[in-house]
Amino acid sequence: MKKKVTIGGIGSVLLGDDGVGPFVAGMLESGYRFDENVTVADLGTPGLDLVAHLSGIDALILIDSVKNDAPAGTVTLYRKADILRHGPAPVRMDPHSPALSESLLVAELAGEGPQEILLIGITGEQFEVGTGLSAAAEQAATQAVDQVLTELDRLGISYSKLRKNPYSAWWKPMAEAPPVSDRIAIATPVQPRT
Amino acid sequence: MSRTITIDPITRIEGHLRIDVEVENYAVSNAWASCTMWRGIETILRGRDPRDAWMFTQRFCGVCTTVHAMASVRAVEDALKLPIPANAQYIRNLILIAHALHDHIVHFYQLSALDWVDILQIPKADPAAASKLAESLSPWTRNSRNELKAAQDKVKAVAASGQLGIFQNGYWGHPAMRLSPEVNLLAFAHYIQALEYQRKALQVVGMLGSKTPHIQNLLVGGVANAIDLDSQSALTMDKLEQIRLLLAEVSEFINQVYLIDVCAVAAMYPEWFKIGSGVTNYLAVPDLPLDSNAGAYDLPGGVIMRGDIAGMQAFKTASDPVFRESVTEDVTHAYYQGEKPLRPWEGETEPQFTGWDGEKKYSWVKSPRYKGQPMQVGPLAQVLVGYAQGHPLTKKYANLALGQVSAIAKVNATPALMHSTLGRHAARAIRAAMLAELADKHWQLLVDNIAKGDLTVHNQPVFPFGEVEGVGTHEAPRGTLSHWIVIKGGKIANYQAVVPSTWNASPRDESGAHGPYEASLLHTPLARPDEPLEVLRTVHSFDPCMACACHTFDPSGRQIARVKVL
Repeated sequence: MKKKVTIGGIGSVLLGDDGVGPFVAGMLESGYRFDENVTVADLGTPGLDLVAHLSGIDALILIDSVKNDAPAGTVTLYRKADILRHGPAPVRMDPHSPALSESLLVAELAGEGPQEILLIGITGEQFEVGTGLSAAAEQAATQAVDQVLTELDRLGISYSKLRKNPYSAWWKPMAEAPPVSDRIAIATPVQPRT
Repeated sequence: MSRTITIDPITRIEGHLRIDVEVENYAVSNAWASCTMWRGIETILRGRDPRDAWMFTQRFCGVCTTVHAMASVRAVEDALKLPIPANAQYIRNLILIAHALHDHIVHFYQLSALDWVDILQIPKADPAAASKLAESLSPWTRNSRNELKAAQDKVKAVAASGQLGIFQNGYWGHPAMRLSPEVNLLAFAHYIQALEYQRKALQVVGMLGSKTPHIQNLLVGGVANAIDLDSQSALTMDKLEQIRLLLAEVSEFINQVYLIDVCAVAAMYPEWFKIGSGVTNYLAVPDLPLDSNAGAYDLPGGVIMRGDIAGMQAFKTASDPVFRESVTEDVTHAYYQGEKPLRPWEGETEPQFTGWDGEKKYSWVKSPRYKGQPMQVGPLAQVLVGYAQGHPLTKKYANLALGQVSAIAKVNATPALMHSTLGRHAARAIRAAMLAELADKHWQLLVDNIAKGDLTVHNQPVFPFGEVEGVGTHEAPRGTLSHWIVIKGGKIANYQAVVPSTWNASPRDESGAHGPYEASLLHTPLARPDEPLEVLRTVHSFDPCMACACHTFDPSGRQIARVKVL
């Protein structure tokens, strides 16, 4: 049986370098062809929903922005023990609070957690509202792609590189303007402003 | 003497909920709900193509992805008065239903059950007795002694390891925990099983939306799913049949496990039908449109003021003129500039951070108001509005749940009990059962419509040169969601999302009226103020979801929550 692998980018593409995980997932998806047993996804900013994505698989590779003391753009690798070291949050208020470590603990409790976990962390520079990565994060994204491929090699998973133009994220402004017409009759007039 | 308790989970997610309560004589005497970070993500949308807005809005929140996508396309369609094909309605409805079922299951079992279930009592349970009890309550086939014993062994193994792992932070042994070891065991066994069924629901979202958590199949004007019953790359009968089977399995879990468990737990904590009422103004919008023009809906909407069920006013459509005219946002106690309440289309979001001050400004959440009043939104609002209208499906499951509670607790449970912490949990389970039945109906509507030869899924949008406004609503798992858009010359000129947790978590307004979380906490008894389990029970019953922000992984393991008692 081929190993089932999920490669997930974590973070919000609306918050600067927090979007680096989904960016790396996008680069992999558009630049490589994977077997059916490999899932590549932008997992966004999940709470315990993450359990559904990491259950029933053999290996999990996550790419996420990290806060650590390293300079922006540094790529750091974390394994299961590093992620689980601190356990779940002491008080859980909303569904976001239980993120990665708690989701892993829940999946393990159900006996469905992945054997192998690698988190590829990229030290971010800015997390302001807005789409677009810092130069440091964008450069690190290429390194992160290499780390993902190295991990796939280690796991014995095959893939092939596609010949493609450089990756352009979907959230960049569109070139094509929407169709506008002065002949459109809108049934209800614009509401008067009070 | 009063003292203040602050519950502030300083998670890696910035922008979370903080609760401050003042406690006097072991009861809450005053309360403040606040959100700790401003995002203003809506500003990203200005100047963008309205057809793309949904891809951005579904990143507002990592848990409620699809709901923000759906409200966004509906807002643009409302502005253009663009009808969408019947197939697109049904496909969207099935996605919304499947997502809501997943969300409701996770909310009860993974996010709030352990407020009521004491894990450390489980090793004392007798699995055979627990199994016998379960069989008296439900025909569910996975309540066998062996299955329950296996669940108990998991807890024993965790306890024996000396590291409680996932359970290390519960208020175990708290005097407000009162279930028997057997009921605790049963609920925990279902906690584990729930993981499987919530995943099946999510699989349906993925099959129709092509990906989760971010669906890919929406278009302003419809959906992108190609329907071709014979082509493998399109929506085929094979795939539809798989979807039907998955939904049937989830439906069985909802009816035979979730609804039963909520009633059983409720029956054993009957005093919680008298705690946690708060704001009894309720708001719900109609959803699950039944045809192309959205002329009829399967979920009713309307407004109830001051708990007056008989005076309920129904909404005819999902963007009812009364609703459009009645919503404003107040910033008296929120960290924004501005004097008077504004309609969302005119909404401004200029930050003015002044630090937490319970008398003045104390939250990044604005205060949405309906005709100037705070409103409670969520499954409870929807169930009460439906009940007041005599909506048959709502009455069917509400009466079933109340009957079940009455039978177990040997009391006469009436709809009046629903204005409470447990009422919110019961309503969520009732709504889940309604949705499970509607899943089957909308699947059939889709299949029948395709069988008639209608394969249309999309109407092309075209934008006027001038300015148009639209509102897109969705009765999301946490309640009424509305996206308000202004489009000028085909580009987004303004965008505001008024989300369910904003209604419920809103701070006080200009009149000083508490928001729903705040009001619901008043008078709550606390057995041990430094272990405020009772506060969490009520807050969790709303299913709070503060729109999330940064998810940056912090490997340093700094303190990530505090319960501070002054």
